[in-house]
Amino acid sequence: MKKSFQLFYCCLLLVITGCSKYLGKEPDNRVSVTTPQKISQLLGSAYPKANYQSFAEMMTDNVTDITEGPLDNRLTDPYFFADSHETQEDSPEFYWFRCYTAIAAANQALVSIKASPDSALLSAQKGEALVARAYSHFMLVNFFAKFYNDATSTSDPGVPYVTEPETVVIKQYDRKTVKYVYDMVENDLITGLALINDNNYVQPKYHFNKSAANAFASRFYLYKKDYARVIQYANQSITNNNFAANLRGWNTTYANISDVNQLQSTYAKATENANLLLVETQSLWARNFDNNRYGLDASIQRILFKRPEPLTGAIWAIKQYSIGSVHILVPKINEYFVKVSVNADIGDPYVMVPLFTAEEVLFNRAEAYAYTGNSVAAIANLNTYASTRFSNYSATTNNITAAKINSYYATSNIRDGLIKAILDYRRTEFVHEGMRWFDILRYGMPVTHKVVLGQSSSLITLTATDNRKVWQIPSSALLSGIALNPR
Amino acid sequence: MKTSLLRKSIRLLTSANCIKSSIPVILFLTVIGLKLPAHPLSGKTSTDFKIGGTDKNFETGKTRNIYKAFYFQKKPVADTVIRGRVTTKDGVPLQGVSITVKGKNKGTTTNETGAFILSGVLPSSTVVISIIGFESQEIKPAGRTSLIVALEPGANTLTDVVVTGFQNIDKKKFTGAAVTLKATDVRMDGYTDVSRMLEGKAAGVSVQNVSSTFGSAPKVRIRGATSINGDNKPLWVVDGVVLEDIVNISNDQLSSGDPTTLLGSPVAGINANDIESFDILKDAAATALYGARAMNGVVVITTKKGRSGKPSINYTGNFSTQLKPMYADFNIMNSAQQMSLLAELERKGVLTTGILANENYGVYGKMYSLLNPDANGNFPLQNTTEAKNAYLKKAALTNTDWFNTLFRNSLMQEHSLSISSGTEKSQHFFSTSFYNDNGWTIADNVKRYTLNFRNNYTLSDRLTVGFLTTASVRQQKVPGTLKRVSNPVTGEFDRDFDINPFGFAFNTSRTLSEYDETGKLQYYQRNYAPFNVVKELQNNYIDISVLDLKLQGELSYKITKNLKYDFIGALRYVKSTQEHQITEGSNMANAYRSAGTSGIRNKNKFLYRDPDNPGSQPIIVLPYGGFYNRTEDRLLNFDVRNSLNYTNTIADKHNINILLGQQVKYADRQNFNNTGYGYQYDNGGIPFVDYRILKQTIESSFPYYDMTKNYDRFAAFYLNAQYTYDRKYNFYGTVRYDGSNQLGSSRNARWLPTWSFGGSWNIDEEGFMKNVNAVDYLKLRASYGLTASLGPATNSNIILKSATTNRTFPTERESVLQLINLENADLTWEKNYQTNLGLDGGFFKGKLTFSLDVYSRKSFDLISTIKVSGIGGEALKAANYADLTSRGAELLVGGQVVKRKNWGWRTSLTFGYNDTKISNVKNHPLIFDLVKAEGGNTEGHPVSSLFSVKFNGLSHTNGVPLFINQEGKQSTDVYLQSDSIQYLKYEGPVDPKITGGFANTFTYKSFSLYIFITYQAGNKIRLYPVFKTSYSDFNAFPKEFNDRWEMPGDESITKVPSIVDAFNRAQIGQAYPYNNYNYSTERVADGGFVRLKTVSLTYNMESNSLKRIGFNNVSLTAAAINPLLIYSDPMLKGQDPEFYNSGGVAQPIQKQITLSLKLGL
Repeated sequence: MKKSFQLFYCCLLLVITGCSKYLGKEPDNRVSVTTPQKISQLLGSAYPKANYQSFAEMMTDNVTDITEGPLDNRLTDPYFFADSHETQEDSPEFYWFRCYTAIAAANQALVSIKASPDSALLSAQKGEALVARAYSHFMLVNFFAKFYNDATSTSDPGVPYVTEPETVVIKQYDRKTVKYVYDMVENDLITGLALINDNNYVQPKYHFNKSAANAFASRFYLYKKDYARVIQYANQSITNNNFAANLRGWNTTYANISDVNQLQSTYAKATENANLLLVETQSLWARNFDNNRYGLDASIQRILFKRPEPLTGAIWAIKQYSIGSVHILVPKINEYFVKVSVNADIGDPYVMVPLFTAEEVLFNRAEAYAYTGNSVAAIANLNTYASTRFSNYSATTNNITAAKINSYYATSNIRDGLIKAILDYRRTEFVHEGMRWFDILRYGMPVTHKVVLGQSSSLITLTATDNRKVWQIPSSALLSGIALNPR
Repeated sequence: MKTSLLRKSIRLLTSANCIKSSIPVILFLTVIGLKLPAHPLSGKTSTDFKIGGTDKNFETGKTRNIYKAFYFQKKPVADTVIRGRVTTKDGVPLQGVSITVKGKNKGTTTNETGAFILSGVLPSSTVVISIIGFESQEIKPAGRTSLIVALEPGANTLTDVVVTGFQNIDKKKFTGAAVTLKATDVRMDGYTDVSRMLEGKAAGVSVQNVSSTFGSAPKVRIRGATSINGDNKPLWVVDGVVLEDIVNISNDQLSSGDPTTLLGSPVAGINANDIESFDILKDAAATALYGARAMNGVVVITTKKGRSGKPSINYTGNFSTQLKPMYADFNIMNSAQQMSLLAELERKGVLTTGILANENYGVYGKMYSLLNPDANGNFPLQNTTEAKNAYLKKAALTNTDWFNTLFRNSLMQEHSLSISSGTEKSQHFFSTSFYNDNGWTIADNVKRYTLNFRNNYTLSDRLTVGFLTTASVRQQKVPGTLKRVSNPVTGEFDRDFDINPFGFAFNTSRTLSEYDETGKLQYYQRNYAPFNVVKELQNNYIDISVLDLKLQGELSYKITKNLKYDFIGALRYVKSTQEHQITEGSNMANAYRSAGTSGIRNKNKFLYRDPDNPGSQPIIVLPYGGFYNRTEDRLLNFDVRNSLNYTNTIADKHNINILLGQQVKYADRQNFNNTGYGYQYDNGGIPFVDYRILKQTIESSFPYYDMTKNYDRFAAFYLNAQYTYDRKYNFYGTVRYDGSNQLGSSRNARWLPTWSFGGSWNIDEEGFMKNVNAVDYLKLRASYGLTASLGPATNSNIILKSATTNRTFPTERESVLQLINLENADLTWEKNYQTNLGLDGGFFKGKLTFSLDVYSRKSFDLISTIKVSGIGGEALKAANYADLTSRGAELLVGGQVVKRKNWGWRTSLTFGYNDTKISNVKNHPLIFDLVKAEGGNTEGHPVSSLFSVKFNGLSHTNGVPLFINQEGKQSTDVYLQSDSIQYLKYEGPVDPKITGGFANTFTYKSFSLYIFITYQAGNKIRLYPVFKTSYSDFNAFPKEFNDRWEMPGDESITKVPSIVDAFNRAQIGQAYPYNNYNYSTERVADGGFVRLKTVSLTYNMESNSLKRIGFNNVSLTAAAINPLLIYSDPMLKGQDPEFYNSGGVAQPIQKQITLSLKLGL
């Protein structure tokens, strides 16, 4: 009897081990990341597929109360500097989630690379994963934490820096400090940057190519005020330093496109040299940016597109259109509508967003030159920019000079004048793109919005040190032990 | 039984030849208080008889006379051969009756004449005579060698067995809650889907016919829902093997009307005539051996087996007709009323000549198109007021009966033939059937062929084997349809090109007609293309074919007297094909080539827009041909089980039964679908494919063909023990250990132990009950256990799926891996603790039986979404955290109330109450998820609860409805995609809380009348969505429009909104107040109803007539199915309370008349 029990026990053991293999079969055609190609494909998801442009732009001084047009909370909330309860596309919450989704993909790729027997051959993938992970965290910390500042960043709460895949439903995280996040970003960015190889990409413009990664580094060090590095990485970003050939041809190629739809779709095309990195985002911004009650109107158009532009005395070649003659737009936000089925009338709107452009790198470098005392180089950069932006531009008559800057900005300090000029050009160049918000954060500018109520109007102000300059973290983060931002 | 034996003995006493016979004689010598009668044997000395006993006291019936008796018996013989015959009480021979010697492994079955021979019976033995459907008898032959036994029809006796699929358990020993239904009691002649037959038959089993098209599954719930997002349907088991679904249809999909729903019924391939019995297992103890698949209860189907004896042949023929629906039953305006409404629309500027550029138009659009000259320059209709009025007047008088056009009184035939034969060593059962329905509508028909072949062999005393082959083939045609798409923007479900005949008749204006006055087909416009419904149904249809094949083998080997080994193995292969054929002449194909004017070109969504050339005009990309779209589903399933069974009875008091087993399941499913563009049906079947139609598909990021595979691997080990003490106390316990790959390949989540235990007390066996004659049986049961089910999450490891990026330019797209779900290391099965208390009783010899159960169930670890910080990369996670409690009670009361020689009345009433409550869920449903007809789930409410947008009157200025919107403010616009649900009104659950049935059978001589009523209550129904922002002259209008708002001030007397004029329609803009009205508190009705489900009259030919014609049985039944809805909420106005009018392939339940002929040879 005892023997037969033993036999039975052995059989059971055999059966159970057999079962283990039998039950190890995946239940569906899910993908397991085993080959370098699959890891590369996974990294296609390591970019935040959410648009920050809408919410950021609506908090800047590029918009006002036009008093006409439909209302949409996703524009009204930021216009009123209010925390948004919106959770769908174009809301801070949506951006938060999509950034962390991108980070999760990067971390998953890193795990697969580590586990791969030929991880040495995967260094390019590792580079992309690290830089992509750094990018999402960098954007999150700038939006959801106090802006970087050498003095206070060692104590200002940051955002959780995630370096490994989450495997439980609710995990506890720590915000640490802004300084910590910046250090982590720097570490990942610099390690990754060295490993990136453009030959690895099917669609290099949608991945951190060498140029885009250097552009990211130039932005990172600009925000960190490490100007020597800004110049270093800006120089590495654009091939042969040939910015003129890589800026958008507003006064050349773009000037010849008469169809506004065509122009709009060209702006974020991969073949446009100025676009260093693109990402597809689920967003309604293309529908909202040019017709809602709060937006760009003629009064702000007159500030952004002075006729003539004071430093060059030229007329902007950037095309401006209007809707109902009150809503002003630059045709750069284009919608790609993804239908739920081939012949459906409903679906999800997408916007292709240029995350890094040659223009930004040029401005980053000019600003760094200005801060490092090389005003000649800074002015030269601005002239490169101007040469592509003004109709009938002439290098002789429209040349920007120190004198013109000092005179227009009424200063004797060329550095101050240069910074003001760069900020103004940036503001015009990146209208609708939300980039102004970062300048507002960097320079601690206040923002004032007009609120019209019937016949009367009032002003609401976001002060320089306003708590509302830091976007509110989604309340569900409390589950993970994350404190919300003060209000 | 003691009494009956005694009475017989008294008769024997007076019989002179009793001595000659070998029947045991009981000789009464004295009756107390009476003089001793003359001794018939006195003076005779016989060597044949001896005094076999001493004085004994007997009791008889009510008189309680005490007899003193001696009994004489033939001298003991070692073994007796008993010959006998078993019949029904009417004398009809019973075949296949089991005759066994109690406590011995000895037995036989009766042959076709009801005769049997049983050898080796000791005089002291008890012979048990039993067959399902009759009350068993135990007879002590006591020396008799001939037995004539008449069996009484069984009425819910406890002498039956419960078939769990793993074991057959004596009901007396059973501790769980289960209902055994004989097929003869359940069968509804003329119905083909056996799952629908269970409606109202078993307490606690709710069956809702959300659609009744052949092949679609009803919504079956045993004791209500146990899961929030997972499956709530029971497990179907046929002859011990789980019937796997071909495709898994989710709770909401069931009522979607999508073509896939026609593969939803797991039992559609089963011939109802092959079924012997159903066992519905309800509580944890009953379902224990299904462990982690048992959460929603189990329905076990046992099919017929061959019986030894001369071949018996049975034929069943059902001939049915389904009645056409009638306008009188619905609340739809006639054409004159509709025309007056259209005239209002015309006055309001809606029906101008501009409608010619509309997607759809009817009678007005047709009129405007006729005003244009034809090819010969003639004007079909003069542009004069008189001519137009004459045209419109004619339309007003048209009164087309669409139901008459699209439906027919169909003829359904079902022929089923079975042959049963066998010897003691081998038995065979063969059956085949053919079902043909030529279609209730002009667009559908079904043919089904089934085969069932079963052989059982007794190879030796120890070894028995059995083989079972079943096959079914289905060929079905249904109207062409696409999958519906939920459109939360407008609050509708979109289904392009829907031509569901019921939906069409219900929604289409009666001013339209099929033919014009010259008898030619009359075309109106739909999707910018000419449309005639009859022609469209001929040119756009789906052919479905299903092949279902099962091979099953069984082996049983007796290792020792008490230990038995059992094997059961099955292979099942199912292949189904849906061929959606859309010919070039169809409206659907023509819609792709309608580009007559630039207005149409710009609006027609079926044209191609080149993204590289955004300014260009859309172009036709399907210039020739139609479509050939194919969907294939395949299932390959193995199921193998090995078990050891030990039974022993110690000292006649301790009965032990132990079962140890192992099971492995393997199921591979494959789904394939393909869109075939440009197939030219009339042109030799050559496809004409314009490359741009593929370009369009690819540019929209859709695959033009698609294949998915699913792999289901499952293994389990189980141990079950039963112990009975002295027939009084039963104990039952099961542990089971299940493993599955369905949660993902991670090891942690894979295994789950489940367990249950129960006890029961046969009160009637107690000494103190011995004298209570009124009680046949009385049993108290209790059980408790853990069961489980797989939830709708599979991410025990990370789930990545391949996708193409959504980028504007095709040249910039690439293939990426998307993160679908993060790993959830804690993922586990959905579980449920069940407690059940039951009391069964039978009184007055079957005159009254009842079974009462109360239960409570606590589901936990249910999968639901929870919003988390998102820091891990996933904002909404599916996790095991939600809880659901449910409570309920079930009652079955019945009995053979009257039983006389010529007439009788049997009745049974079932009542089931179930209430569920989601006690914990942190999901974020949108308004649309909760207000739709299928309902949604939120904390604090039952599963699938219906909510409504609060109606807040009509606007004073234009009669547009007003609501309390998502922000709590009065508005015409409710944003249905908002997750702000606190302003909605809770209406009630969609599933009924109370369900049941009331069956009565009256018999008079050879006739029996059966009346069956079903009822349900406690749920709410969303009324059909009939209100729209804009109506075209295509739409039918319900009669409530007569009460609509027409002028300011009307809002105080009516709640029916106005019909919007062109100006107000423009004002409404992007809001959808009329769609919202469909989801408002005004459009909800109570779901309770009482339905006369079946009335049938059966004539059974009497046995002496049968003998003359050489048949064993002949019966003829006339039945009406669903003849009458006795009560439903008057708000419904003809809407069927069970049916979801979702278009596609959905059909409401039909009124049906059936003639059924049964012949037995």
